[in-house]
Order: sequence, then C-alpha cells, then structure tokens
Amino acid sequence: MLFKQIPPHHYKYRLFRPIPIAHIFTVNPRTIARKLGLIFLLSFSLNTNCLSFELFDSVQIHGFASQTMFLTSGNNMFGPSISNPSFDFTELGINGSWSPMPNLLLSMQIISRRAGNGYDGSPNVDFGLLDYSHFFEDDFKIGFRAGRIRIPYGLYNDTRDVAFTRPSILLPQSVYFEGTRDFTISADGLLIYAELLKPWGNLTLELFGGYNRSNELDAKFSFLSLPGNLEPNPGFSGRLNYESYDASLRFALSGGYIPMDYKSSSSLIVGPTGTLIPTPTKGKLTFTPMLLSSQYNTDKWTFTSEYSPFFINTSGLNTVVNPFADSNNFAQSYYFQVAYRFAPKWELMTRYDAMYTNSHDQNGKESELKSQYLINQLIKNTTNLSSLEAYNLFQFASPAYSHFAKTLTVGLRYDISPMMMIRAEYNYINGTAWLPTQGNPIPGETKQYWDMFGLQVSIRF
Amino acid sequence: MPKIISCYTCRFRNMALWSLILLFSGSMMAEENVVAVVHYGTPVTTPISRIRLSSIFSMRLTTWSDGSAIKVFVLPDDNPLNSTFCKQILKLFPHQLRYAWDRLVYSGTGQAPVILSSTQEMENKIANTPGAIGYLPKEKKDDNVAILLVE
Repeated sequence: MLFKQIPPHHYKYRLFRPIPIAHIFTVNPRTIARKLGLIFLLSFSLNTNCLSFELFDSVQIHGFASQTMFLTSGNNMFGPSISNPSFDFTELGINGSWSPMPNLLLSMQIISRRAGNGYDGSPNVDFGLLDYSHFFEDDFKIGFRAGRIRIPYGLYNDTRDVAFTRPSILLPQSVYFEGTRDFTISADGLLIYAELLKPWGNLTLELFGGYNRSNELDAKFSFLSLPGNLEPNPGFSGRLNYESYDASLRFALSGGYIPMDYKSSSSLIVGPTGTLIPTPTKGKLTFTPMLLSSQYNTDKWTFTSEYSPFFINTSGLNTVVNPFADSNNFAQSYYFQVAYRFAPKWELMTRYDAMYTNSHDQNGKESELKSQYLINQLIKNTTNLSSLEAYNLFQFASPAYSHFAKTLTVGLRYDISPMMMIRAEYNYINGTAWLPTQGNPIPGETKQYWDMFGLQVSIRF
Repeated sequence: MPKIISCYTCRFRNMALWSLILLFSGSMMAEENVVAVVHYGTPVTTPISRIRLSSIFSMRLTTWSDGSAIKVFVLPDDNPLNSTFCKQILKLFPHQLRYAWDRLVYSGTGQAPVILSSTQEMENKIANTPGAIGYLPKEKKDDNVAILLVE
C-alpha cells in the first residue's frame, strides 16, 4: 500500500479534524495493567455501596472510571470499531480536595484518557486550583479561583469526563466536539465569580481570564492539521447561569475568546506522494465559541437543548494542506434531548444533534468543490505522478458530507448502585463532521451514513 | 314508622372508611416524618428558611453565622429517607441535588457531603460532630441532636 510509507502528518487535509498518529494497535504491558486495574475497581464497587474517602477532617478523595465499547458500521470510532467491537475508550480520574478553612478550598484532579490513538492515556493535570469565597447576608457569595481551572461552558463542560454526569455515552458531539476538546476543557488563569441565592432562583456569573492549554498541543493533533505549535495569547471566557430554586429550570449563556499564534520551524512538509508542499511558518488562530443552554426538569423528565454559534478566524493559515481554513469561518450546532426516568434506577434518552462546520455552506458542496480543485492543482503541479498515485491523492479531497453531521441517538441507562452505572446506546449518523480522523485518515474512504452502537460501564466515588 | 335496623353493614362500612382514612393519613405522616437535625449547640436559629437549608445541603453555604464550618451528612442516594428529605423538606429532586454535588466535586470547586450508611450512624455523627447537620426520622430524635424546623 502506497500510504503505509507516508509520514502520518500528511493526512492533514481537513478543517475540524484531529490528525492521525501512527496506527499502532499493539497490546503493551501498561495497557494490560490499566485494564486489570479497572476490572479490580469495578469488582470492588460491586461489593460496596459507598466509597468516598474522607482521609481526615476536610480532606476528600473522589474519582471515576469508565470503559466503553463501540461497534460501528462504515467509520471507525476510537479504535478499529467497524464490524468488530473496539474497547479503546477508557477514562480514569482521581481528585483530592482540602478545605483548611470553610471558605478556602484547594483541589486537584489527574485524568488519564485513552480514546483510539488520539489520546494514549498518559495522565495529566486536569485542574489544580485555589478557591476562596465570601458570603454576604447568606444569599450573596463572591469569590475567586486561581490556577488551572475547568472552563465554565454550557451545561456539561464542568464535568465532561465523568460518564455519570453525561446524558449519554459521549456528550452531544455537535456542541462538545472532540476536535476542540483541548481548547475548551481547562485553562490556566484567574476566575472571579458571584452567586446570588434568592427565592426566585440562583444566579451565577463566572468570568475567566488566562491562557488556554494549547501550548501543550501540537497543532497537528488538534483540528488544525498543521505540523507546528500553537502558542496561546491571553483569552477570556465566561458564563451567566440561572437556576430556579428547585433546579427545574436552567438557562445559561456562555462565551469565550481564545486567540493563539501558530508557529512552525519548517516551511515545507512532505506530501502524500512524496511531493514537497509549502506550509506557513506563522499564523493566527482565534476561537470565539458561544453557547446558549436551557433545561427543564421534572421528577421523571429532563428536556435539554443547547445551541452554539462558533466563530473561527484564521490568518496566514490557508494552504493546500489546510484548504478549509477560511479566514472567517462560522460554524453552528445544536441539539434537542429528552431523558425519561421511567423507573427507579432506569433512564431512557433520545436526542437529535446537528452540526455544520460552515453555516454558509450547510450541505458542504462548495467546500467539496474547493477541496477537489486544490487537490487537482496539486496533482497537476506534481511531476512523475502515476495514475494510481493521483487517484490515491484524490481520495484526500474532503467530501461534502464531512462538513455536516446529523445524529439521532437512543440510549438506556441502569444505575446498579449510586456508584456504578451501565448504559447501552445506538446512534444513526448522517455525515462525518465530528468523526475523529485518527481512525479514519482518508476522507474518500469514509461513509456518509453510518451506525454506532456503544456499551459503557462506569463507576464513581 | 320505618323500622330502624341497627345497621352492622353501615357500621362496618364506616369503620372501614375511617380506618382507611387513618391508614392513609398515617402513611402521609410517615412521609413527612423526616426532620433536619443539627449538633446540639450549633449557632443556628430554628426555624431556618428553606432556601438557606437547601444552600447548605447543596454545599454552597459552608459556614454557620459565627464562621464555623458546616459539616453535612447524608444517606446514600438510594436510601428512601434521602429522597423523602429532598422532596418533602428541601423541595428538590434528589437527582438534581446529586448533580449539584457532582459539579462541585469533579470541577474542584467544592466538596461533597459525607455519605453515611444508616440512620444510627447519622445519629451518632450528628451527636458527636460540632457544626454537623443531617436528617433523621422524627421518632429517632436523640437528646444530643437538635431538630431544625423549616419556615
């Protein structure tokens, strides 16, 4: 196979896609140890009802572990999942908190995430912060957090990796998109917050300023598909949240402004057929995500909807390798979700979820033509290209359906105990906009209509 | 003059009706038979406002009026007394309270209440921990714990 010899960073052809690293599906001793550890934890949790630790006064240890299996048709999801189940999605986390004074809290969480070959499970500090707050008159609280902080964004970002708090196996991918996960999960800086607790409800305002964690990322592992690094500039984000007294109603407005500089030491990369392709050495990238959230709860029902207009501005990053980095891109996504707790411990959910990477080109036709044109230019400009090589190169043109995704989800959850949960889920998907590229490096080989079945077991303490 | 028959059927019917009413009100009583309790000598005045009580159980309010720490004790999510307390006293859905704790714990912005396995353990903990708050069935009242009424 021609593409087997090609360095992986050549598969970088699409906006909104993480980049594949080498396809290594070997089993190593670390993986086995991790799996055994998880099984141990799971069997432990079956025998006990309550496992939160309070080591000594005011110190708490909590954690979570989830293992997911995906079985898909057409496209791979977190590992080779077509026809045969993939178990390559494991989430582990442990956190500790210490409250030396009632108004002061120090906390830290370490997470390990294994998701196909995009995340290898190496542990990282998810948050590590100091929180100080002061109450006035028992109904007004003001405070700040400093350090590495979870970014306040929408209804689910605060606890994104804890399967227990998610409505489904994965969060709705339109809004909580895997490709921008690292930009939106947590950041280093200062957050100030104010909370008003009144009979008519709770009003919370959180404002964050600081640096996102993109400096830990190679741009090639993000959706950007370029070989250099992203260096963060100071950014802002915030959330205004309203919750009625009994939490039956919840509304939130979140937004962010995340500017970054792109820098690369190489001005050329080796193309899929050995061609040298010029790439930028400098550029700018700015995310401006926004999110409107609403939720209505009764004892048995939960209705949730979120809508996200998402602006991506780039300058100096338009290349043949990354042909869809429009200088001003406006993406849109939304979902509607219903959960029904029909019996104690049981929950049934359904969701319709839609994502458009370019809202001016919702069916993706224009982007497809642009991509084919650029690839054709590359083929023309390359000498000594065999017809097979040209054909293979053409497979990298991004199809129209890679610019949207519409997902219908049905899921069932059973809480074995307050600490342990299992769920099963079926997704019918039209489009590949949120499909991770790691397992699907060649756009021309992806399928527009596909199914995804998942099973998940999760514990928390 | 119509003959008055001492109507046993009627009497039985009445008795059945009354016992049904008693039984029903009894079960209603049993549902409301959970009370918030605090460690004896905690600086809080009873009755407490419902909003303040729920701020305490949702772990938002962490200090008593004198600045001392509030220690919150609860029973496991699947204990019936837990859901009774949430619905009857706090007027919250139990799953929403759990969600509030999860948000604090897994984003590092707060701590969870301490989960105890039985009402007996709850009684002991409240009695022996200064600043403690929890809930107990009404009949379980101990001299070492004080009942906190809700406005």
